Amino acid sequence: MDLISQIISLTFLAQVLRLFTPYFLGANAANFSERSGVVNIAIEGFMIISAMGYALFTIFSGSAVVGFFSAILVGILFSLLFSLFVIKLKINQIVAGVGFNLLMAGLVKFLIIFLFQSSSNTPRFDSLPNIYFLENIPFIGKVLSDYIILFSFALIFISNFVLFKTKFGLRLRSVGENPEAGESLGIKVRLYKLYGVIICGFLASLGGIWLASNQNSFSDGMIAGRGYIAIAAMIIGKWKPVNIFVACIMFAFFEALEISLQISGTFIPSQIVQMLPYLITILVLIGFIGKTKPPAADGIPY
Amino acid sequence: MNIIEFKNITKKFGNLTANDNVTFSIKKNSVHCIVGENGAGKSTLMKILFGVYRQDEGIITIKGKEADFSSPLDAIDCRIGMLHQHFMLIEDFTVLENVILGSEITRNIKLDFDKSEKILNEYIEKYNLDLSLDKKISELSISEQQKVEILKLLYRNSDIIIFDEPTAVLSPIEVIEFFKIIYQFKIEGKTIILITHKLNEVKEISEYVSVLRRGKLVYETDAENLDIKILSKEIVGDVDVKNDSGNYEYEGEPGVLAELKNINLKKNKLNVLNNFDIKLKKGEIYGICGVEGNGQNEVIDILYGLNKNFTGDLNIHTKKISLVPDDRIKKGMIKEFSVGENIIIKKKNLKSVNSKSILKAANDVIIKYDVRLPEVNAPMESLSGGNQQKVIIAREVELDNDLLIFSHPTRGVDIAASSFIHSMILEQKKKGKAILLVSSDLDEILKLSDRFGVINKGCIVAEFEKNQFNLQDETEKTILLESIGKLMIGITGEQKN
Ligand SMILES: Nc1ncnc2c1ncn2[C@@H]1O[C@H](COP(=O)(O)OP(=O)(O)O)[C@@H](O)[C@H]1O
Ligand SMILES: [Mg+2]
Repeated sequence: MDLISQIISLTFLAQVLRLFTPYFLGANAANFSERSGVVNIAIEGFMIISAMGYALFTIFSGSAVVGFFSAILVGILFSLLFSLFVIKLKINQIVAGVGFNLLMAGLVKFLIIFLFQSSSNTPRFDSLPNIYFLENIPFIGKVLSDYIILFSFALIFISNFVLFKTKFGLRLRSVGENPEAGESLGIKVRLYKLYGVIICGFLASLGGIWLASNQNSFSDGMIAGRGYIAIAAMIIGKWKPVNIFVACIMFAFFEALEISLQISGTFIPSQIVQMLPYLITILVLIGFIGKTKPPAADGIPY
Repeated sequence: MNIIEFKNITKKFGNLTANDNVTFSIKKNSVHCIVGENGAGKSTLMKILFGVYRQDEGIITIKGKEADFSSPLDAIDCRIGMLHQHFMLIEDFTVLENVILGSEITRNIKLDFDKSEKILNEYIEKYNLDLSLDKKISELSISEQQKVEILKLLYRNSDIIIFDEPTAVLSPIEVIEFFKIIYQFKIEGKTIILITHKLNEVKEISEYVSVLRRGKLVYETDAENLDIKILSKEIVGDVDVKNDSGNYEYEGEPGVLAELKNINLKKNKLNVLNNFDIKLKKGEIYGICGVEGNGQNEVIDILYGLNKNFTGDLNIHTKKISLVPDDRIKKGMIKEFSVGENIIIKKKNLKSVNSKSILKAANDVIIKYDVRLPEVNAPMESLSGGNQQKVIIAREVELDNDLLIFSHPTRGVDIAASSFIHSMILEQKKKGKAILLVSSDLDEILKLSDRFGVINKGCIVAEFEKNQFNLQDETEKTILLESIGKLMIGITGEQKN
C-alpha cells in the first residue's frame, strides 16, 4: 500500500521526469547521429566532457550561464573532433566511440586531480537559473521551472518535425539510408553527416550539463552509463522520436520505482531491485516491440 | 542538329581504359541506342556525360557549349537526367520522398507535401505511371521502382534522358509499357539515350545506334541501315558466338524426378499458387515463362525446400538439388568473398579449407568456364554480371546434382556470356539432369525448353510441347508468340491442353 501511494504521488512523477531528461536528451543525440548514418556510442563521453566543462567554467567564471554556453561549445568542439575521425578519416565508428569514452573518462579524472587536488570530485558550484515564478508550485515546481526539462519535452516535437517535415531532415535521413542515392541527386553526403554529429554533440552536452547542474558538483563516474542507456532507448524506440520518448519514460519509471523500493525497504535483495528497470525493459521489448531496423547505411563510412 | 558531341573521350581506371578516344554525336530529339557487351564502357561514358566521373581526355559539348561538369548537379542543371543501371532509391522512404529529395519544394521551413503531390500526380496521370506516392519503395516491384526513377527525371524537367539498361529488369509486357513512355518523350521533343543488350529492342526503337567494344567506338548506323547480324558481330568482335547446333539430347533412361500436383499456397491471405501442376523429367528442360511475381519464386522455394506451408502433393525423388537464384547478388553469393570462397562454401565432404584449396577451387572454375576477373582473390562484387553468373552456375553444376533450377539465368548478362550459359544448361540436360528453367525472357524459354508452361496468377494456364512451338513458319510463329503473350497477362480464357 505504502509503495502504491508513493508511486501515484507527484513527487514520484517529478522523480521520473528528472531521471527521464538525460536519457531522452542522450537518445535524441544518438538518433540524429544515426539517422545520418554515423553510429555514435560516444554519447557517454560527450556527456562526461560537457558536464565537466560546465563545472569548470561555472567555477572559474562564477556564472552558471557562462558555464552553460562554454559547456555547449565544448560538446560541439568534441563532436567536431569525433567527425574528423569518423567522417573525414573514416575510422571505424565503434572503435572511435569506445576510444572517445575512455579518453573522456581519463581526461576528467586527470583534470579533477590536477585542478582541485581531489581524487574524485570538484568543489560545489551553482545550478542553472530557473523560471522563477514556476518554482514554487508544490512538488513539481522544480521540474516545471527547469529550462532543460521543458526543452526535452519540446524535443519530442522538435525532433519529429525536423526529421520528418523539413528539407533538412529529409536529406539527413537520405544520407543515413542510401548515401549513393543522395549523392546522385546532388546532396552533400559528408556535410549532412557532419550536421548529424554536431546536433548529436549539442544534445548530449545538454544532458551532461543538466546532470552537473542538478548535482552542483562534478564527481568522477557521475554519468554512470546513462549515455549507453540512451542508446538502448533509441534502439527500443526504433529511431523514432515518439517511441524513443516512450522508451525513456519506461526506463525512468522503473528506475524511480527501484529507488522507491530501496527507500521503503523490502525483503528483496537490493541487487535484484537494481536489475528491475533493465529486466522489465527487456521483457517489454520481447513482448511488444517487433524487429527493429536501423537506418540502412548506419555505421558504414562514406 | 547535334545536341551532344563526344570528342575524343578517354577515361582510365588505373591501368584499365574504360573509354578509349570515343568520338560521336547525338541528334536532338532522337532515340539513340548505345550497345556493347558488359564492360564495354557504356555506363562509364554515360556517367561522364552525367558528371559522375570526369574524363581524362577529350571534351563533351552540350547544345553547342562545352560541358564541364564537376558533379551530377551541374548535369541536372543542364536538364540532363539519368536512370542508373542500379536504382538510386531509398528503400525506407516513400515514393514522394524519393522523388523530391534534393529538389524539395518548401513553404517556410516545412516541406510542402501537398504541392509536390499535386505536381507529381499530374505526371503520373499524364504518363500512365500508376504509382501511389505514399507507398514505401520496399513495397514496390522492380518495374514500379523504375517508374519512380522515371518520375524523378520528370520532376526535374530533364530533356536529355539517359537510360542505362532499363529493360534488363522488365518482363516483355513491361517493356512495351516502357517503350510507350519513350515514344511520348520523343513526341515531347526530349532526346533519349538508351543502353541495352537486347538487339530486338534496338531494332524496334532506335533511330541511331553506336556500338562500344572494349572502350572503343567501333560501329555506328542509323535505323534504315540497321542489320542485326552485322550489329551483333560488331558487338562481340572477333570471338564467334557459339551456336547451339550441337546435339544435346539425353539418351539414357527416362523418368520423372519431381512432380508437383495441386499445389496451393497462401501468402498474406492471398493465393499465390492455385492448383499448380508440373512434372520434371530426367534429361528434359521444363520452362516456366510468365510475368514476374505470378508465383515463380514460390514454386522454386517449394522445390528447393525453403517453403513448407503449402498444401498438395510434392514428390521429389532426389535430395540433390541445385539452384541458380534470380537475384545473384543477394541470394547467389557472398559478394565480399572471393570466387574460390564462394565455390567452396557449398562443397560437401570438404576435409579442410585453406588458402590452397580455395585457390584450387577458384582456378578449376576460372579455367573450365573462362571466367574473367581482375585477379584470383578479388571479391565477387568486382566481377562483371556475366562473370558472376558463370561462377554461380559453375558452382551449382559442379555439385553434380540431379535436379537443377535456373531462375532468370541470363538476366543482365551480355550476348557472349548468355550463349555460354545456355550451352552450359544444355550440357546438363544431355547428362540426364532434370532442369527447371524460370525466365521472363520468352526467347530464352523457346530456345532451351523441351516443354514449357505459362504461369499466370500462380497457375500453369497452358503447356506447350516442343513440336508445338518449334516452328519454322514466321507467321505461325508470330501467332504463337501473340497467344503466349496474352496467356502471360491472363487475357484469354483458353484451356490447358
Ligand atoms: N569505378 C570504377 N573503378 C574501376 N573500374 C571501373 C569502374 N567503373 C567501371 N570500371 C571498369 O570499366 C570497364 C567498363 O565498365 P562499364 O562502363 O560499367 O561497362 P558497361 O556499362 O559497358 O558494362 C569495366 O571493365 C569495369 O570493370
Ligand atoms: Mg553498365
